[in-house]
Amino acid sequence: MLAKRKMKLKELSEKVGVSVVNLSILKQGKVKAVRFSTLEAICKTLDCQPGDLLEYVEASD
Amino acid sequence: MKYIKHKPSANDFLIWFLILVLLVGVPVLSGYYPDNEVLGLPLAVLILLGFFLFNLIVRRNPNFKGYLTSKYNILTSKNRSEHESDIPIDLMFDKIKEVLEQSSFKLSYADKSKKELMATTGMSWTSWGENIYINFDTVEGKTRMHFCSTTFFQVTSWGRNDRNIEGLIQEIEESLTI
Repeated sequence: MLAKRKMKLKELSEKVGVSVVNLSILKQGKVKAVRFSTLEAICKTLDCQPGDLLEYVEASD
Repeated sequence: MKYIKHKPSANDFLIWFLILVLLVGVPVLSGYYPDNEVLGLPLAVLILLGFFLFNLIVRRNPNFKGYLTSKYNILTSKNRSEHESDIPIDLMFDKIKEVLEQSSFKLSYADKSKKELMATTGMSWTSWGENIYINFDTVEGKTRMHFCSTTFFQVTSWGRNDRNIEGLIQEIEESLTI
């Protein structure tokens, strides 16, 4: 989505108010939880839907 | 983050007892005791001031890590804990650095190439302050973090080492909700 919008992680971080480190961890899917307010801010900035950002992948144990 | 292991500090009271025996018992048994006139209030104030200044200047120096965290150093109280995470090592390093910068701990030293972090706590009535050392390595594709909280002069931390590590881990966990 970032590539589609031609936006860098740093730019998104400044617009959303979430640190680059946290966004990098989110990108890797390693965060514990995402607040609705954060999701809303990202969707608003990237002009997309939550479904464009989230994908269910079955965990491999 | 997955908890790996925790090494509690040695029995603080036993160490205090041994020091008391050394300081009081040995001079009394040997019949030697310093002249009372020498051990006056000025000397006590000077010693305390010396400790205070030494603490301020030296404690934040990362070169003392080996001495302070050595398992053979019985003059300091240490608590160690290991945790594991799926987050890549470089990202985890940045994450913990960020958490330390925003917490009540004071980040004193960070070296990304050596994967070493050092933070300090402030002085209180029960402590001269503690140093927290964090090292990172990768074990079977996972990032392993080694936490060590140590006192500077004290043989007991009065539980502060435990609280430091627990508090930091909790702050890291909380910061993973974005």
